[in-house]
Amino acid sequence: MHISEVDLFAAGAAFLAVLMCGVAGMPSLLRMLALQTALLGVITAILGLSWNAPHYLWLAGVVLAVKAIAIPAYLAHAAHRMQIRRDEGIMLNGMVALLAGCGILIASYFLSPFIAVAPMGHVGAAGMALALLVIGMLVMMTRRLALSQVLGFLVLENGIFLYGLTQTHGMPLVIEMGVVFDVLVGVLVAGVVIFRLNRSFEHIDVTQLRGLRH
Amino acid sequence: MNALLLLPIPILFLILGLIRQTARWLPALAAGLMIVQLGIACWVGVIGVCAPITTSADFGLDGVGAAFLIITTLVATAALFHAALLLPAERRETPEISDRQLCQFYALAGVFLLAMYGVLLAQNLGYLWVAMEATTIVSAPLVFYHRSRHALEAAWKYLLLCSVGIAFALFGTVLLVAAQYPTGAASLRWHDLLAVAPHCDPRLLRLAFIFCLLGYGTKAGLFPLHNWLPDAHSEAPAPASAMLSGALLNCALVAIWRLAQVMIAAGDGALVRQMLVPAGAITVLAAGVMLVRQHDLKRMWAYSSVEHVGLLTLAIGIGATPLLLLHALNHSLVKVALFLLAGSMLHLYGTKSLQKLSGLLRTVPAWGVLLVAGTFAIAGSPPFGTFLSEWLLLRDTFGAGEYLAAGLVITGLTITFVALATHVSRILFGQAATITKPAPTAAWSVAPAVLLTLALLTGLALSPPVMHLLATIGGVVR
Repeated sequence: MHISEVDLFAAGAAFLAVLMCGVAGMPSLLRMLALQTALLGVITAILGLSWNAPHYLWLAGVVLAVKAIAIPAYLAHAAHRMQIRRDEGIMLNGMVALLAGCGILIASYFLSPFIAVAPMGHVGAAGMALALLVIGMLVMMTRRLALSQVLGFLVLENGIFLYGLTQTHGMPLVIEMGVVFDVLVGVLVAGVVIFRLNRSFEHIDVTQLRGLRH
Repeated sequence: MNALLLLPIPILFLILGLIRQTARWLPALAAGLMIVQLGIACWVGVIGVCAPITTSADFGLDGVGAAFLIITTLVATAALFHAALLLPAERRETPEISDRQLCQFYALAGVFLLAMYGVLLAQNLGYLWVAMEATTIVSAPLVFYHRSRHALEAAWKYLLLCSVGIAFALFGTVLLVAAQYPTGAASLRWHDLLAVAPHCDPRLLRLAFIFCLLGYGTKAGLFPLHNWLPDAHSEAPAPASAMLSGALLNCALVAIWRLAQVMIAAGDGALVRQMLVPAGAITVLAAGVMLVRQHDLKRMWAYSSVEHVGLLTLAIGIGATPLLLLHALNHSLVKVALFLLAGSMLHLYGTKSLQKLSGLLRTVPAWGVLLVAGTFAIAGSPPFGTFLSEWLLLRDTFGAGEYLAAGLVITGLTITFVALATHVSRILFGQAATITKPAPTAAWSVAPAVLLTLALLTGLALSPPVMHLLATIGGVVR
């Protein structure tokens, strides 16, 4: 299998996602998310240059500014204000979750030829995108706090973004921008809801939210 | 050009809603403006039905879009008309609700309406996704209007589950682009997709459809992805519940319909049928079973919405687009009336618990009569339009040879009828509750009464020419 630098950066992003499975500290989780997203921004720029499509550099800039800097910074601010430092998982403890993440990464690597669009030439990246997607879901399911679920969602979204970037001739740019905008506003709204949850329940532990089960 | 006329009034809501000082007169103004908006939407819609409007390469109005545009605007008009009575009355009695909160409701409602228009007008499945996610983001704050713990929990569940669901639809949309690699195209424009579909990679196209169905199916509330729906629809204030149930669910179904057309164009109609017919039939049955044990009036109507989403999905599955339009109209009319009534009752009684509501026919006879009519209509009894659309849908399901699905649907509808009749009769009869609040004026009955009359008319007016018209609307795109 030919490994391009795109595949390499994608693997870096997926590796960071695996590490996130085993980390409980909120600040380090957020830093890893930021770094992972920044790698995707770099991939966007590389592809933009190789396709000779300068407008993709704009997208790379927006991804870096919004998804790699603004969103993690906002979440870090929220965590700081609600004095959240750690999120011990439920169901899986750190070590088991880390192993599960490794398993997902390996499985995705072997699955990559099946989900990749061969003529695009980034077979490895397709598998890494799948790994991000599944690990994002794993993080959402095995964490206690509402904030971590937002984090898991962002990892999942990164996976979709990576797949779209490497397996197509480039999604239409306006739509990519629209997606980034939706994610940004979505995170802001989620932040507002989490602040209010924290204020009225005095915690944001989603496993304790059971008022509506009839 | 015409379609742009839809924009000014919702934008005005947004602007006025951001100014706190408007709280005193904004509800009444919004109700009035929405009636103007309904006129505009009907005009634009009728033009769209006659000949598709193309605003740009990515936005336009075809027959199905136009039909749902009119339904959506009608729902929003009824909801905001009723909101002009309900929200200020609530505001007077609960000091916790601030002017700002009330204004925010209108600002969000305006953007929500715009986002739904975006979904209906998008002729590009990428824009459709962006607009659909926007509807989730905007309507989540509407759900926690009351700021109660339950409302917050419901809003969180709604925002998270629907965002994850919609993320799958995004993956599906990306796969739609990827599937076009053999043709060298990379377009998400619906008409381009219909044209290139036969030459796409069939495996990726199937994956794309399945992921999109998973995503938009979550948004539509298909069983077993419906989990968030009863919470969000029951905790939102009644006008918002009405819009979520009567308009937003339709938007998700339009998305599924557009994708189904792409698959049919690709010659893979069998997959559409294999997925949608069982999904719809099982949803109807499951919703019927869940309706039996209900303790909450608004949750009951929310589960009933799940049931009707099942019926509408079935209509898409068997390719009965005219029935999709007809039943969506009927369901929206009746369900909005019922949610608005439920909101009024919640306001008057101070509870929506089925155990505590009783004697409505004696307390407020007009509402009692409306509730009886609405219940019969939603359960699909003649002479209401719902009866005819459900009847025709069953006929077509049998005609398509889907006997098992038809059997499940009949069982589900029967259980629903019995369950609804039992719950509602308990509300209607029994001891009249002692109400301390002043008796509601006749204005409170106007919106539900008008909607139910329309639902009656769709039943009485259904004739071969109308069915022919619906068939033309559904077929304009082909």
